Amino acid sequence: MKRVSVDIGGTFTDCFVVWGDKYVEAKALTTHHNLAMGFNEALGKACTVLDLDLEAILSEVDSVRYATTLGTNALIEHKGPKMGMLVTAGYEATVPLSRARGYGEGLDNLGQQDMPNAQRPDPLVLPHMIRGVRERVDFEGRLVMPLDENDVRTQIRELVDRGAQIIVVALVNSVVNPHHEQRIEEIILEEYPSHLLGAIPVILSHQVAGRKGEYVRATSAIVDGYLHSTMYHALSTLEQNLRAHSYERPMLTIHNSGGMAQLNSTDALQTIHSGPVSGIGASEHLAMQAALGNVVATDMGGTSYDIGIVVDGGIKHYDFNPVIDRWLVSVPMVHLVTLGAGGGSIASYDRMYKTVKCGPESAGSDPGPACYDRGGMRPTVTDADLLLGYLDPTNYAGGSIPLNPRRAKSAIEDTLCDELDCSVIEAALLIREKVDDNMANGLFTELRARGYDPKDFTMLAYGGNGPLHCCGIAQNLNIDKILAPPFSSVFSAVGAGNMHQLHIHEQSLYMVLYDSNTRNIFDDYDRFNGIVADLRERGRQDLLRQGAKAQDIRHNLELDMRYGNQLVQTTAVIPKHELNGPGDVLAMISQFSNDYGKRFGEGSQAPEAGIRINTIRVASYVQHETVQFEDIKPLAKGRRKLPPAPTSKRTCYFVGHKDSFETPVWSRSAIEPGVEIPGPAIVASEVTTFLVDPGWTFVAAKQGASWFLRNE
Amino acid sequence: MNNMSNSRTPKAPSAEEMALIKKFLNDTTLFLGPDPEIMQNHDLMPRSAEEETAIASFSDVHTIAKIRDRIQSGCDEGYEMVEQMGAAPGAKWGDVITGVYSASGDLAIASAGGVLIFSALVHHPIKFIIKNWLNDPTVGVREGDGFIHNDSRYGNVHNTDQSMILPIFHKGKLVCWVASTVHEGENGAIEPGGMPSMAESPSDEGLKMSPFKVVENYQIKRDILTFLQNSVREPKLQYEDMKVKLYACLRIKQRIEETLNTDGPGALVSTLRLTMENVRAEVKRRISEWPDMTVRSYIIQDSTLRENCVVKINCKLTKTGDRLIFDFRGSSPEFTNRATNTIVAGLKGMLAQVFLCYVWPDLPRGQAAFAPIEMITDPHSIVNCSYDAPNSQSLMSIFTGFTAGQHAVAKFLYSCPEKYTKVHAPTFNMINTFIWGGVSQHGETLGNLCADLNGMGAGAVSDRDGEHALAPIFATMADIGEQELNEEEVPFLQLVSKKMTRDAIAPGKYRGGQGYTMVVATKDSEQWGFMTTCQGAKIPPLQGLFGGYACGCYPLSKVQGIDVYDILMNEPEKFRHSIEEIMNEQPFEGASYTTHHMGMGFEISKRGELFMISQGAGAGYGDMLERDPVNVIKDIEEGLISSETAERLYKVKFDRKTLAINFDATNQARDAERKARIARSKPYSEFVKDWSKPKPPSHLKYFGCWGDDVSTLYMGAQDKTRDANTPRPNYMPHPKDVRIAELEGKLAALGGMGGEKQ
Repeated sequence: MKRVSVDIGGTFTDCFVVWGDKYVEAKALTTHHNLAMGFNEALGKACTVLDLDLEAILSEVDSVRYATTLGTNALIEHKGPKMGMLVTAGYEATVPLSRARGYGEGLDNLGQQDMPNAQRPDPLVLPHMIRGVRERVDFEGRLVMPLDENDVRTQIRELVDRGAQIIVVALVNSVVNPHHEQRIEEIILEEYPSHLLGAIPVILSHQVAGRKGEYVRATSAIVDGYLHSTMYHALSTLEQNLRAHSYERPMLTIHNSGGMAQLNSTDALQTIHSGPVSGIGASEHLAMQAALGNVVATDMGGTSYDIGIVVDGGIKHYDFNPVIDRWLVSVPMVHLVTLGAGGGSIASYDRMYKTVKCGPESAGSDPGPACYDRGGMRPTVTDADLLLGYLDPTNYAGGSIPLNPRRAKSAIEDTLCDELDCSVIEAALLIREKVDDNMANGLFTELRARGYDPKDFTMLAYGGNGPLHCCGIAQNLNIDKILAPPFSSVFSAVGAGNMHQLHIHEQSLYMVLYDSNTRNIFDDYDRFNGIVADLRERGRQDLLRQGAKAQDIRHNLELDMRYGNQLVQTTAVIPKHELNGPGDVLAMISQFSNDYGKRFGEGSQAPEAGIRINTIRVASYVQHETVQFEDIKPLAKGRRKLPPAPTSKRTCYFVGHKDSFETPVWSRSAIEPGVEIPGPAIVASEVTTFLVDPGWTFVAAKQGASWFLRNE
Repeated sequence: MNNMSNSRTPKAPSAEEMALIKKFLNDTTLFLGPDPEIMQNHDLMPRSAEEETAIASFSDVHTIAKIRDRIQSGCDEGYEMVEQMGAAPGAKWGDVITGVYSASGDLAIASAGGVLIFSALVHHPIKFIIKNWLNDPTVGVREGDGFIHNDSRYGNVHNTDQSMILPIFHKGKLVCWVASTVHEGENGAIEPGGMPSMAESPSDEGLKMSPFKVVENYQIKRDILTFLQNSVREPKLQYEDMKVKLYACLRIKQRIEETLNTDGPGALVSTLRLTMENVRAEVKRRISEWPDMTVRSYIIQDSTLRENCVVKINCKLTKTGDRLIFDFRGSSPEFTNRATNTIVAGLKGMLAQVFLCYVWPDLPRGQAAFAPIEMITDPHSIVNCSYDAPNSQSLMSIFTGFTAGQHAVAKFLYSCPEKYTKVHAPTFNMINTFIWGGVSQHGETLGNLCADLNGMGAGAVSDRDGEHALAPIFATMADIGEQELNEEEVPFLQLVSKKMTRDAIAPGKYRGGQGYTMVVATKDSEQWGFMTTCQGAKIPPLQGLFGGYACGCYPLSKVQGIDVYDILMNEPEKFRHSIEEIMNEQPFEGASYTTHHMGMGFEISKRGELFMISQGAGAGYGDMLERDPVNVIKDIEEGLISSETAERLYKVKFDRKTLAINFDATNQARDAERKARIARSKPYSEFVKDWSKPKPPSHLKYFGCWGDDVSTLYMGAQDKTRDANTPRPNYMPHPKDVRIAELEGKLAALGGMGGEKQ
């Protein structure tokens, strides 16, 4: 297999090239003005390793795949066109009011509780650019008020006159009857034909999101429209660059649904968070190939701690209403939680409880931790890590950032030592313990809320600070195995290399499987089967359009179901795609009951209150060949090798140990697969530090994978 | 003689006799009603012997912090479960709380999300259980038990909220409690939805569950469940949510048991106790930083939800040293047959919200945050009602009491050296939404309300305008929901759902956040109706700050005698998407157009009749003549105000077509207005002389103290008063009787009554 996969992040463009049995990782700085330049540089480095030129690689690979945070950055930086919006009259304030809670979406708990400071984010569509049009359909799609086309034309002209560069149309109940949205698009095309210079792009909400919820669907369409032009230009530039270098196949873009598609089957919203989602995809693939069982993927960087769940048995965890930047949207996105904890998290004195607080405030990278010597005066987790001996002040981030221990010491002393009446080292230990606790609690809640026990999981730790803090976090959760995965510095790019072409189509509906009032069981099999067939066909057409062979197309059927009038919708994966009798319906109910019981506790099921399907979802996909990792399992205890002599020793301090340890230090590049190093120990690489706490053992595996195993 | 006379005077009983009498009275208690000792006390219980022992052996603050964080995440997990699994609309919007209570019943740690008011209330029923059921051989408290409760008189906001309470044992010993509380809605009261304004006594308020056992061996007892289902309109809801609350409690219990297993019961007990004590001490410290002074405020309620009247909520806030005292004496007497009374704990819960969300949002949630703050009220007053007074619409007094407190506190904050958030004007405080009930298009009997109550205009802050329709005063991150989802379940449409109500403003240098219009009409049911339960249709229920203004008043409007759905299909051009246009233009021939106060009792609505309301706005901050003209024009562009308002109130001069501001003319207009103000003004003593009257006006039904004298409370007429400390019944006549008497009087005057007796 020959393949290039890329993750274009805010700072680095990561590249992973599979060339037969050679796997090459490379990095370059992201070039925001022209993403192709950073891509070419990263790929160029890989070419050097392979001793090939760009053309040679791009003309032979089976695909080039991109994951990118470009959309996320554009949202945060508020770079987008002036937008106009048409909504059902009487719903003009739906988007500006953001379900009342929009002020707090994407904020931490304090930001959500502090009401006098509550402020909605700057709108992507200004309130005066939102116009109501006279029309209405009801929840079943029945016409309530016909569309007033003259009114529509007037509103469109006014929006254009006010500078609208793109128009979003989001009408109530358009997912069950899209006729009015479609007619408005026709009217816009009549007024501003696409072949003329004044043409206006149009985004219809029902085409962006298939679920009910007029607010979340509208924000989805807005975010999509807002990013459309930026993403179109950026990705087109990348595609043209590929063409210029002899690449003739379609360029593939990673979706946040955990799949990928060509540009003609990708909307801008689907690309958001595709980088971290690719990381989870890589975790899933690794878990399956290395038989890791349940895996919790953790990515700890400078400001945040991302968590993703991959469970044995293929159950996918999605967020159907994820928050993107500060916006609640409707898109089936692979579940990803971000906690405000990282190396830059600021530690402070908790006056009330007379202990240490850590985060959610972060020093970020500018000014960064005090020890960066860039003006930061407040102590951070990285300052504590430095003083505890874990970090080499002269060789941090490959030597690119010299660390100043004196700054770290004075920041901790000034902020904490007097108040806590303790030494700097004791304070630093409290910081480490606190940040590890915070992350463990976040992880715990995340897993438990989905009905899982953390001790049944292997932790995957990547990101700059992941392998540094993973033992502390795992210790709190009774997790015994941690894997720092192979190619961890370009892990998301690896994930992009393993994605399958996938499209998700779904339909909101009110379908009662068991009516507790009449005690009737669902028997309108034609209705159910018709909807499933339609969703399968839409997925099939998407894939055929991209050149997939009909016989390669597969479908998964998922139902979001609930008891009575609950909010929660538990997803049940249904193996049989067609209902033919009560037995099939009861099997479906039974599947739902099992999944629900696992999540909320056996016995918590309430079928007596009735059972409903809220959404039918079909994931249509074509499987592609995947990157095959070598056997990265740790060697059995007796078969492991001794390490070479350490390169140095440092005085380190660990939580739960009064005395310091003279801790041996190795370079990761000097450790062969199969080598075992008992903790306490430090194994340093250019991109991270593997900190092996006392009570843990480091075991090197193939392809740069590293294990932390808790001693029995 | 003296001796003989003295011999007839009963001798004071000895201590031994007193003990015997007490025992007799205890043994012969007819009924274990709400215990005033429990209900009037919101402070923490004294340290128990177990707590003393635990603290003596376990007090490492860092380990305690670790355990506390773990329990906090357990509460958050339980909260998320209730929010996700709950069937009640309230559960879905976050009208929920979960918490861990000490063995003595104090709430130590509450979920980070949810409705804080519960945090000051649910400790009361737990303390009732401890006092009465723990050692009662017929009840007892055992592992696997669960208790249910909703009766507000035992500690609740109103009877629509239900709690599930579980004791947690370790090796047979009670170590703490966990509880989960949800605003359920329907409770079998005389009106659907659980908050009847027609209630004239507690007997009209539906289910009245004193704390009792409903779970044994972690199983809900089917016989009791059936009884409860049989007592409400939504048996499905009653069943589902009891189960949900139970399983959320069990999830929190798991987290506690992990702590018990790893750190031991002493660590848990010590953590819970010290957490509360630390917070309490921090609150005292923060109060001590405030300036010593007294601030007076008041809010007027303009109805009992049954009739128009003027009801005073009087508030005096005094800070001396580290004491902060809310004095609500002088507030209206309780209404004997109106539902707007509250138990005092309800108001305390809402005042806790003032501090935890609007003053010190960084403080952890729990009972301790309000524990050291003192409160004084008159007995049998509208803010401290008696057992016999209905209180299903307690929110009216809880919310107006909250605003009086919020208004007073803002003045302290302004002078406070260390601020934990911004100084702000009061938030809009009424639940301007539709409560609904009947039989749905799916044949289900339902009773609940629209989530629009969760959008309340925020007060302006010291450096910017208030946010429109933000989270309500009683919950952060609450949700106004999605109409598309609501319409699947209820047989009416919101034809106007979220449209800013033009000119519904609270002006100021920074204006308050505004509210929106709702126009509803029943569509697919012949058995459906609405009610509204708000005040503020005649007098704003809040006050502006530092020269800012309160919002205007908003009536309920109805258009009846039409089927709007026929009009929408056949003559759609006639429909207007604003109350202003519909009521002013009256576009539907043959319809009746009426306005009402906002306390509409449950009313069956025919298909296509329009019911229209608007939310109010949060209060303004600072002088409106200082408002930046650019922001005034932006308000016009966004449909928040009319050009007339911009000119008349803000004195902004601009071109109405282009909206270009004439800054010179604006400055001149504003200078002229300032001079006019001076011309209209008079010395304070003269103002007082003209303004101050010895008694309330005779034409007003006025309730509460008049002026500074809080010892006398008026009860609707100049000659009807009560001593503040001496309760008297305060009955209101039935509005229909009043109306009949009026009409009969008119008929009689016209000689139309004949010989019929009036």
